Amino acid sequence: MKKLSELKKDEEGIISSVNGDARYVGRITSIGITPGCRVRVIKNDKNRPLIVYARDTMIALNHKESSNIEVEEARR
Amino acid sequence: MTEKNEIVIALLGQPNSGKSTLFNGLTGLRQHVGNWPGKTVEKKEGSFTHGDKKYIVADLPGTYSLSANSDEEIITRDYIASGKSDVVCILADSSQLERSLYMLSDFAGIEVPCFLLLNMSDVAKDQGKDINAKEMSDKLGIPVVLFSAPDVKKYDAFYEALETAVANKTVLNTSSLEQKYKDIPEYSEIRNIIGDYKDGNRTGMWLAIKTLEGDLPVTAKVKAELGNEKTAELSSVLDRCEKGIVKAGECKFAWIDELTAGSVKKEKKAAGLGKFDRLITHRIWGKPVVVLTILLGLLVSFIPALPFMGIGSAIGSAASPLNEALLGIGCPSFIAALLCDVLLRCFSFVIQMLGFVFGVTLVFGLLEEVGIMARISYVFDNTMAKFGLQGKSVMPFLISFGCTMGGAAGTRVIDNWGQKVLTIALSWAIPCGAAWAVIPMLSTLFFGAWMPVIIAVILIVMILHMWLTAMLFGKALVKPSERCGMIMELPPYHKPKWGSLFRFVLGRTKDTFFRSFKVVAIVATVFWLLSFTSSGVAGDSILFKVGQAIEPVTMFFGMKWQTFVAFIASSLGKEGALGVLSTIFSGTGSITVGSMVSAEKADNLNELLLANITKPEALAFIFAITFNMPCIVALAATYQETHSAKWTAIIGLYYTFTAMVLACIAYHIGLLIW
Repeated sequence: MKKLSELKKDEEGIISSVNGDARYVGRITSIGITPGCRVRVIKNDKNRPLIVYARDTMIALNHKESSNIEVEEARR
Repeated sequence: MTEKNEIVIALLGQPNSGKSTLFNGLTGLRQHVGNWPGKTVEKKEGSFTHGDKKYIVADLPGTYSLSANSDEEIITRDYIASGKSDVVCILADSSQLERSLYMLSDFAGIEVPCFLLLNMSDVAKDQGKDINAKEMSDKLGIPVVLFSAPDVKKYDAFYEALETAVANKTVLNTSSLEQKYKDIPEYSEIRNIIGDYKDGNRTGMWLAIKTLEGDLPVTAKVKAELGNEKTAELSSVLDRCEKGIVKAGECKFAWIDELTAGSVKKEKKAAGLGKFDRLITHRIWGKPVVVLTILLGLLVSFIPALPFMGIGSAIGSAASPLNEALLGIGCPSFIAALLCDVLLRCFSFVIQMLGFVFGVTLVFGLLEEVGIMARISYVFDNTMAKFGLQGKSVMPFLISFGCTMGGAAGTRVIDNWGQKVLTIALSWAIPCGAAWAVIPMLSTLFFGAWMPVIIAVILIVMILHMWLTAMLFGKALVKPSERCGMIMELPPYHKPKWGSLFRFVLGRTKDTFFRSFKVVAIVATVFWLLSFTSSGVAGDSILFKVGQAIEPVTMFFGMKWQTFVAFIASSLGKEGALGVLSTIFSGTGSITVGSMVSAEKADNLNELLLANITKPEALAFIFAITFNMPCIVALAATYQETHSAKWTAIIGLYYTFTAMVLACIAYHIGLLIW
């Protein structure tokens, strides 16, 4: 188990849980990041939002908040 | 249905689903922009005729879901629940089908006739996706249209689905979704507690799933309907249930996957960042590339602006001859001046302004539609978040170095009202082109080689000013509880839809004209009345008399009555500050609205200024006009974009006040030095 924000560029994972306040969880769910969803990290720079690819979509996520998302590492 | 028998369509879709493009394509120039009652969210309505029927289109705010996290979401779902619309057109992006169908799944359970528009089917096709709309339509029980909105002529499939949905009142089939919900034990319990209760067109299923999701307004509504006993029962279920929203989300996506499983075939394609994306998101090069892109955009937006500016200034220059002519035929000077000096000149400003609004809205609307604005938001997210703003705010800020009004027009791409107003409020602190035309000249005149130091101090003060203003206004405009980190889609690049974009920009420009003319005319008339004299001697006007009377007070701020009057006049336009000083010191003629905004000045102005103004006063004056309200047209643009007379007035008064405070500080520091 890893935090999404810890995945490096080009690493893939499967979301296992989404935590945080109701507002955050609601927003992240509505953009399609839910448990079971496969994500790939496109870019993970310091002090910049994280860019992931999930459900055919490139999504930019606040770096700090992404530590609320846990992933199971997956082989490509 | 409206009273006039028109059919009302509501457009519902996530951001980037192509909703605005469809709206503009359908309604053309027949649009009206206002506010949702009691809210600061923009309300767009338009109309079109097809066959022998008239349709009203309501463009609902673009949101990712129908929860209750923001004003936009609440407006959207309350509108749908109100039953004001006869049919809802739900948009999804075919190129990101599963994700964008979330809106459909969140809508499921509201019993309003609807149909599904799978937009950008051309992009999906290029991705190697094959969507069977017929099959999806059978499963959902509503018309499903594959759509790409290249031009208005190809809207036939849309009209056909619309007519079917209206005629047959097609309601979404939700049984397979509810089957999934029932796998959540807490859902079944809540559903049982709710029983037969329905709220208008919102079914028990919808109310139950929203309650499970922890939706506060729905939970409150449901509890109010149930007896005490059942309410207690409901509360105990909710206390036990953790992360209802995640469980509900899993069900919704499982349903979507099932829906698309048979109907969509796709080739697996590895997506990554394209060449331009790699450059613009680069850790080092990203910011320079963004700044260059915006500056280039600003340059390009001058091209369509130039003809307007030419026409505008031609109209303005007709004011004086026309005035003479009117006086010649015996028209009272008061009336002639009101007509020519005030109304005609205001008309001239507004025309010139429209050119710039047109250019900026077109160019930056284009950048938004193509998808570049989302990248800009990403690159500047961390920097702008410090002010409580989106990364996109960097664009209006940069434009404001050229023209504050253009900056205000550029805030259109910011989708949150509070952040939009805050961006405009901060952009006022950025000295505009007119200030840059006056400040270096005055600084050199009074301080010679120290000019660069003055400019540097002005830039530092600008940053502090923006920071302070963000602190002061930030809490009221962007509530800390609503500030949240970035969760934003970086959409694939889209080809711009020129027709739709032009229609939008023209509509916007027309709207700007009427609103702005009102503001500009009112403010200019007030100034003109204050400076009007029947004798033609400037010293007799109310403005001068009052200026002279309160000189003891204004001297505390480092301004003699002459510079104070020029400062007040600079609220109309900064170039005018010199024109006014010139009139006063050379003692010729009276002040007109024309001289307040043009830099017509006496030949010996430099000597006059040096002879009449001390160094500390000059420093005070420089700061006063740099940080004063940019100009009346910027004020009008602020009103146009914020739709709020209250905030426009607050920002206007705040800047007049802070400019005086800054002048005061500059003056007293100046007194210590010289």
